[in-house]
Amino acid sequence: MQKVEPTMGEHDQYQVNLPVFNGPLDLLLHLIERAEIDIYNIPIVEVTDQFLAYLQTMEFLDLHMAADFLLMAATLMQIKARMLLPRPVVETEVEADEEDDPRFELVERLLEYKKVKEVANKLQDREQEFSKSFPRVGGAFPDLEVAAAAEPVNRVTLWDLVQAFSALLESLIPRVELDGMPEEQYSIQDKMDEIIDGLAQAPKVKFSTLFAGLSSRKAVVTSFLALLELIRMHKVVVEQDRTFGEIVIARWEGKT
Amino acid sequence: MNWSQAKAVLEALVFASSEPVSVKELGMIVELNEETVGRLLDELVHEYNDRGRGIQITEVAGGYQFVTKPEHAEYLEKLKKVPRQAPLSQAALETLAIIAYRQPITRAEIETIRGVRVDSSISTLLERGLIEEIGRKEGPGRPILYGSTKGFLKYFGLKDLDELPIVDDWILNQQLPIDLTAD
Repeated sequence: MQKVEPTMGEHDQYQVNLPVFNGPLDLLLHLIERAEIDIYNIPIVEVTDQFLAYLQTMEFLDLHMAADFLLMAATLMQIKARMLLPRPVVETEVEADEEDDPRFELVERLLEYKKVKEVANKLQDREQEFSKSFPRVGGAFPDLEVAAAAEPVNRVTLWDLVQAFSALLESLIPRVELDGMPEEQYSIQDKMDEIIDGLAQAPKVKFSTLFAGLSSRKAVVTSFLALLELIRMHKVVVEQDRTFGEIVIARWEGKT
Repeated sequence: MNWSQAKAVLEALVFASSEPVSVKELGMIVELNEETVGRLLDELVHEYNDRGRGIQITEVAGGYQFVTKPEHAEYLEKLKKVPRQAPLSQAALETLAIIAYRQPITRAEIETIRGVRVDSSISTLLERGLIEEIGRKEGPGRPILYGSTKGFLKYFGLKDLDELPIVDDWILNQQLPIDLTAD
């Protein structure tokens, strides 16, 4: 499993690969569930707009934008276009309705994917349950280093984080970034230390507090990447007590 | 060999094996029929369950093996010599779910269902011995077909694939509602 790896690219820009993103279907399902929309009757215009808004945020973060997401964006726009076009008159009134809906295939895929997610959750429950029973070991066992990809995120999805981050960026827009000011230097490592120090004093830190007082986009982005990195390293967990609630960062109390 | 001797031998055999041992194999060793072995094992299972012991015998991946009781997990985790595997990521679990329920299946088919590339989860699952290549699909490029392994059953504590959890109508080897060859 790949890990989230901030690497220094050209022009000292950070590039982050996030394979923990579970893909465009995951995002779409998240948008639909969050808005409590009937999956059979997706308001395609709204959903497409929201989907594109997420992509923009991801792009801004310079996340490795998988072609999968772009393909889904194109598919959504195609469906949108087809829904706006006048439909050919159906000669026979036989069913046709369902098959003619340009959303049909997408809905089928979403339903199928939703079930995959449910099954995966059930497997995860079993995994958790059975990992409590230790077999005797003799001989070789699989490389233990391999599978360090568990996300220490309690009920907070990456989408929640990106959304919170996106809101944060928007709130920054009115602030003017002056040219000619001495540029502050931010490194992800500094920010990570700062977060950890903060957590040594208080057990929990609010997501908004973490970013309070940062005035430039660069600082905000660096802080966000530092947070993602800490999550990956199992140094912190993020929690949210209810949907749309404040995201809270806490020390990772699990085993290391 | 009387009843209690046979039971003691079976206990020893299951203990000595680090892999689950099948009733068939045990029966051949102790020269008893499978039904008798099954009854002896049942008794053993109950004895361990009832007597406040730290270990129990479970039926997993088509055989029997000793495992520690789940209620003592927090102590075992402190024992450094016990190998601990990180839990699977959500992405890997989704890929694994698709493979387990839809095997044999090609990577492209998995990608159609998940809507993302699955190279990295497939290599994780291969390395952890939860899936394996089980053949090639006839057709252009003869793509590799993947299936779940015995290690998969062991990892999730399943007796066999029929014991996989069922969600709605998502059952084993069901036909896909969409045409995967369309793309």
